[in-house]
Amino acid sequence: MSDVNLTGIAKSYGGSPVLTDISVSFPSGSFTSLLGPSGSGKTTLLRIIAGFITPEAGAVTIGAEDVTRVPVWARNIGMVFQSYALFPHMTVRDNVAFGLGRRGVKGAEAKRRVDEALEMVRLPGFADRLPKQLSGGQQQRVAMARAIVTEPKVLLLDEPLSALDRRLRQEMQVELLSLQREIGVTTIFVTHDQEEALTLSDQVAILDRGRIVQMGAPAAIYERPATRFAAEFLGDANFFTGRVESGAVAVAGSRITAPDLPEGREVTLAVRPEKISLGAGENGGNRVQARVLNAIYAGANLTYLMEGPGGMGLKVFAQNADGVILPKGAEVTLHWSPDHTILVED
Amino acid sequence: MKAFGRLYLCLLIFFLYLPIGVMIAMGFNASPYYQLPFEFSTRWWNELWQNQDLLEAGRNSVIVAVIVTLIATPIGTAGAVALHRREFPGRNFLRVMLLPPIAIPWLITGTAMLVMFYWSGVGRGFHAMLIGHVALAIPYVVLVVSTGLQTIRQDLEEAAMSLGSTPVHAFFRVTLPLLTPSIIGAALFAFAVSLDQFVISYFLATPGYTTLPVKIYSAIRKGFTPDINIISTVLLLASMALVLVYAVFSKFGAGNVRR
Amino acid sequence: MSAGPATTAPALKMGGRRLPPWVATTALLLPAYGWLLIAIFLPLGAMFLFSFMTATPIGNKEIGYTLDQYKIFFTQPYMWQVASWTFQIAFATTLICALAGFLAALALARSGLGRSQWIFLILILLPFWTNGLVRIFSWTMVIREGGFLDAVVQFVLPEAGSVGFLYSRPAIVLGLVHGYLPYMVLTCYIAISTIDDAIVEAAESLGARWWTVLGRILIPMAAPGLIAGSVLIFVPVVGAFMEPRILGGPQGVTLGTVIEDSFTQGFNWPQGAALSFMLLAVVLAIFATFSGVLRRNAQW
Repeated sequence: MSDVNLTGIAKSYGGSPVLTDISVSFPSGSFTSLLGPSGSGKTTLLRIIAGFITPEAGAVTIGAEDVTRVPVWARNIGMVFQSYALFPHMTVRDNVAFGLGRRGVKGAEAKRRVDEALEMVRLPGFADRLPKQLSGGQQQRVAMARAIVTEPKVLLLDEPLSALDRRLRQEMQVELLSLQREIGVTTIFVTHDQEEALTLSDQVAILDRGRIVQMGAPAAIYERPATRFAAEFLGDANFFTGRVESGAVAVAGSRITAPDLPEGREVTLAVRPEKISLGAGENGGNRVQARVLNAIYAGANLTYLMEGPGGMGLKVFAQNADGVILPKGAEVTLHWSPDHTILVED
Repeated sequence: MKAFGRLYLCLLIFFLYLPIGVMIAMGFNASPYYQLPFEFSTRWWNELWQNQDLLEAGRNSVIVAVIVTLIATPIGTAGAVALHRREFPGRNFLRVMLLPPIAIPWLITGTAMLVMFYWSGVGRGFHAMLIGHVALAIPYVVLVVSTGLQTIRQDLEEAAMSLGSTPVHAFFRVTLPLLTPSIIGAALFAFAVSLDQFVISYFLATPGYTTLPVKIYSAIRKGFTPDINIISTVLLLASMALVLVYAVFSKFGAGNVRR
Repeated sequence: MSAGPATTAPALKMGGRRLPPWVATTALLLPAYGWLLIAIFLPLGAMFLFSFMTATPIGNKEIGYTLDQYKIFFTQPYMWQVASWTFQIAFATTLICALAGFLAALALARSGLGRSQWIFLILILLPFWTNGLVRIFSWTMVIREGGFLDAVVQFVLPEAGSVGFLYSRPAIVLGLVHGYLPYMVLTCYIAISTIDDAIVEAAESLGARWWTVLGRILIPMAAPGLIAGSVLIFVPVVGAFMEPRILGGPQGVTLGTVIEDSFTQGFNWPQGAALSFMLLAVVLAIFATFSGVLRRNAQW
């Protein structure tokens, strides 16, 4: 078990930068998600940590060791691939024992550790099957067992759940997390699924165009996104832009305020749709007039698409508490707390 | 419409197999001049065993084909791995360079080899044929093995490396076993290419060293007896068997990799 | 593949020095391409050089360099006739193959054969992988005077004379069509089998009759296959010499046989080399013209 540190990592392909000056630390035993859209560089970053790609600048350390120039096969990592990459010509046992064999662990000792690993992923008794005889979820577990049986210093997961259907994915998330807690290995998880990132991680790093734009605990990142991109990519957000005058931004007659607004500057404010409530609310809150354009009914909750001040679009989530759906064209007042109004960078 | 289509296909297949059938039958006709009506006889089989020239040419053909297979298969496999699994400038150019041996009429390649080998002192005969046949077989091996490589996910080797394999170990433990059916298929292909090769052999043969197709050709031109039919039949059935074995292997290969 | 030291050590300490990747790449490629260079490309170069020589450089003959070998079409007008025969044969073969092969592919793909499609396809392709020489030879048994064809005709019409046409240009075309037809069936079949049934059904639902479907959908969509097949047939056929020899006899004079003769009989290698290169120029021009279509058809 070791911490992983990246300092000043940069990588480009054919002149166009994929990663720029990435410095980030993954504490020992933590579970970190690298979250970003495709092309954000998250997979490249994972492959640099794994050792498949050598960065042009910067250093990778695992524990006390600088591994920047150490090839992947000498790094002692465990990796789970998106496709699982199980060896189709080997049984489950041979797959899981592969890494042990490379470390000179053979015979009874290897058998014991393979059985133990299969026990941990809840696949005992599957050792003699071939990968193609297993379901997708079972293959995923074998891939996990193969990655952890060698007791790697760091576990790298490259969208390992994306090939599973929704139900199975949620099940596997729970198992993955408890397994990680049990063995306590430093884990770095690449995903483009925001919900998955929030559910699983101790910390989330959001990548955009080769940079980490924000990193922190899931709740901190969700509640206080630092940039417009982070706010939009992780969850939904409504944005208001304008110049701060006497502590508030005026948007078509409504004054929107938030803590610590810089006087006289052009700013962007973000509000999460579920933080907005219908009605006038208490005094001192932010308040706007809006007209319902469309209501999307999803059983337990409702999503309203509205036209706010100056014709801007607004999204509001509401609980379906009383079974009443606002009709199209209804004029409503919306309110929310200034504390839920977040100043974001553009 | 559909019945017409089937009838047409049957006629086409009849057209394709008619001369072959006639040729095989004539090997069992008693007349040395292919006279009809047909009179069954196995005398040409017996004649064939007397015809040392023909048998030796046959033996030469098989020996050349075996050696060609042993040389071209590893060389072509290595080339295919490099072309498919490694990034380097000029990769597409090298791929295109595989085509001339296949696409240029063999008459041109064969005469060019004759000129070059004669001029440079390599000469003609067994070794010259070997050089020529291997060159023809390499592109086929590369193409067949490449097709096999395409069905093997590249992240398998990456997975092996993440578990501690060096690239060489990963290749031999993971990719090579999965590639084996394709390599066997490629070897059969190389063998068939060499065994059936006539044009290049023709220009590189010497009076003392020929292969079966060359022998058959000179026999046809000089006057021949039905023992040529017998040996042709053997050659024909051998190639058909090779193709069918190849088809079985390539199918097996696909099935092995599918998940 | 960069070579790391073998590892039996318990720990993963085999980083070692890594060879630069180009070393391994070169090592993998060198045998194949070195062999092709020595056995294919250098000989072609040598032959190009030869084509400018005044005589075959055997013994102590004085060798000069000249363009005369390329003037054969002016010094020997007979060569125009040979070239014309060669191309007539090649065009006839390609045309017949295109027609028969397209229809066969159509019949294969659209006769509702289901799984037995494969059996038919394999039956059509199988002879293709057998010795071409043997197949050409086998035709002599059928079309010679008093051969199988005559026997059949005389069985039906005992008074009829011989219909054997061995040693004629039609015999050459017959043999070549037999030899190369499977190419066309295969390329057309690949093109046609990618046509979705729904497209044809859509056309029929819009009121198209079968000739409209054929002319407006099937032929245009099969065109890449037709072109690829035609190129793959035309090229080897213009370079054929064994087929004209065996089936054409004295009638079978083509560019191929002339080239063969200048290497094996006349011992006029520079002349043969020049003819080979003119033929190669035609071949390369054809490939260059259709390279786009051919590349799209290629499997990789």
